[in-house]
Amino acid sequence: MKRTMLKLATSVVACGALVASLNAADVIKIGVQAPITGKYANEGQSIDNGVKLIVAQYNANGGVLGKKLEVVSCDDEGVAQKAAICARKLVNAGVLAVIGSYTSGATEAAQTTYFRNKVLQTSDGTSDSLTKHKYWTFFRNSFPNSAEAKFTANYLVNVKKYKKIVILSDFSSYSTGLADATVKAIKSLNGNVIYSGKIKSGTQNFTAVLTKIKSMKPDVIYFSGYYNDGGLLRAQQIQLGIKADFVGGDSNDNPDFMKLAGDSAKGTFLINVPTPDILPYDIAKKFLKDYKAKYGMMPASIWTLLNIDGLRAVLYGVKETKSTNTKKISDFLHNLKGFPGITGPVNFRSDGERIGGGYMAYEVQGDNSYKIVYK
Amino acid sequence: MDIFLQQLINGLTVGSLYALVALGYTMVYGVMKLINFAHGDLVALSAFAGLTIYVQIFGEAKSSLFLVLGVFIITALLIAVVGVLLERLAYRPLRMAPRLSAVVSALGASLVIQNAIMLIWGPNMKIFPSNLFPSTIWTVHNVVFTFTQVMIMGVSAVLMIGLYIFINKTKMGTAIRATAIDQDAAKLMGINVNRVIMIIFIIGSSLGAVAGLFIGINYRGITFDMGWMYGLNAFVAAIMGGIGNIPGAMFGGILLGLFNAMISGYISSEWAQTFTFVLLIVILIFRPTGILGETIAEKV
Repeated sequence: MKRTMLKLATSVVACGALVASLNAADVIKIGVQAPITGKYANEGQSIDNGVKLIVAQYNANGGVLGKKLEVVSCDDEGVAQKAAICARKLVNAGVLAVIGSYTSGATEAAQTTYFRNKVLQTSDGTSDSLTKHKYWTFFRNSFPNSAEAKFTANYLVNVKKYKKIVILSDFSSYSTGLADATVKAIKSLNGNVIYSGKIKSGTQNFTAVLTKIKSMKPDVIYFSGYYNDGGLLRAQQIQLGIKADFVGGDSNDNPDFMKLAGDSAKGTFLINVPTPDILPYDIAKKFLKDYKAKYGMMPASIWTLLNIDGLRAVLYGVKETKSTNTKKISDFLHNLKGFPGITGPVNFRSDGERIGGGYMAYEVQGDNSYKIVYK
Repeated sequence: MDIFLQQLINGLTVGSLYALVALGYTMVYGVMKLINFAHGDLVALSAFAGLTIYVQIFGEAKSSLFLVLGVFIITALLIAVVGVLLERLAYRPLRMAPRLSAVVSALGASLVIQNAIMLIWGPNMKIFPSNLFPSTIWTVHNVVFTFTQVMIMGVSAVLMIGLYIFINKTKMGTAIRATAIDQDAAKLMGINVNRVIMIIFIIGSSLGAVAGLFIGINYRGITFDMGWMYGLNAFVAAIMGGIGNIPGAMFGGILLGLFNAMISGYISSEWAQTFTFVLLIVILIFRPTGILGETIAEKV
């Protein structure tokens, strides 16, 4: 009797699940939360374009689990307040997973809403704090600041042997987090940080703080902020005749950095995971080719590809678990081992952290191309 | 010492830009008692229009100072026309309305211009080519200054002196001063107040246009919302100097630029903005009408 009851119960549940899946229309919605306008627009648009490209490719092959995929985009402008609104909007639209956002600040502002509503989220935000809540819905598709900080500190102190190091950041949670982690890592290597300060993003005129730095005669200026300030910092550093090397954190890796810095871009060092064009994987080459064919340009930077890996992992999870139950997919992803990603193997730790992280240091050449100088 | 002199140059450069923009605020306020919040956005508009004119019409292949002068003149004329249109459409219909209506209209106009820039040129940052001015850099006793910085300080100084002479020595200038003191009396004396206001908007907008182009040339990256930041700083400068007072705006702009540079250089760049507003409050406590503002007895 008990057994029949159990059978009955399971079949009812199964029926219920069937009905639910039939009711849930024949589409799986994928959300994109990205800064499509505003300061980081070219990154945001590139992420949005990339997701749309992958979704179109899946749909051309019959979708996933026999369902078509549909993209719902929301522009958070890289601003926390807008990100919170986007989170509500995407949850209400009934998305299965959200790709984004680009900035850690906007990602953090939306994280809890997705967690409470059992919506998966995968972001390239690098703030260490993003995984501290251990939300089962959250997956970082990039590598955390602490990993980059360790690489940077080693590069500055042990490889380049800089004696006087200046650290600059802006006021964003990502940038201050990376700067603090880097200072800590440098100190643990007995490096000498002679000044660590902040600039206000978007103020454009950094000559005052740079002049102050000039008087300290540093060997290197490390900037952990974004390209739109980094390019100007570099230009104004050269203009003021400060004979120090300039090392930029990952968010300086953007074509606009070179445009803003102009002739001064040459000789700049950038630290990031591999750039899209030197990724050795066939799927990466294919993605770049398809992207270029569809949009007539290359993706803005590696951040697009990292997000695409997040999306591909989620879709792989849906396929393998044959389910749109986010908890099931999440459990599957936490045990994911060596899924072939565009940016290398994808493995997630139980707190949603992506394992791995092959950082590299590049030197910007005269024609704005990159030369790998350390990895 | 060379560090101090360098900070002086840094401060004077950005201060000159603030002063040019502040003049637009102060002249309009002086005559119309209206804070033209859209002025900062005219500055941004000028940077975008100037870039388009330079790239599209002249082509960016080679550059000469003569050609750049052409870009400056065309852009200034264009922005002057926009300024006059702004006054006609957004402020003149409200001239007799309560003051608050005009302020709301100004805020609205600011949003309209800002969004128009975004829709025409897109939300992305646009970047000026680096070859408008020669990239000459002079170094004197470790103090560095660029050709662009010299142009910014020089052109601003010439424009401000010219404006001072125009306001104080010409017939039109006298009419402007008379209108600023009492619009109704000026009208009774046969001054064409509408014309005075038009002239004010032409001068203010073209000075803002020059500042916008200099911002684009010096800092390269321009965004549709940059008018807010420069507008706010210039507005603070105008209040410090005494809003409505023309030498006050020049003085306020330079003071603000220098103060910011010195605080960033000698105390902390993180606290620069905070100290700036503390200075503003202190000035307003001791001189409520600004440093050069005159205390005019209220008519009873």
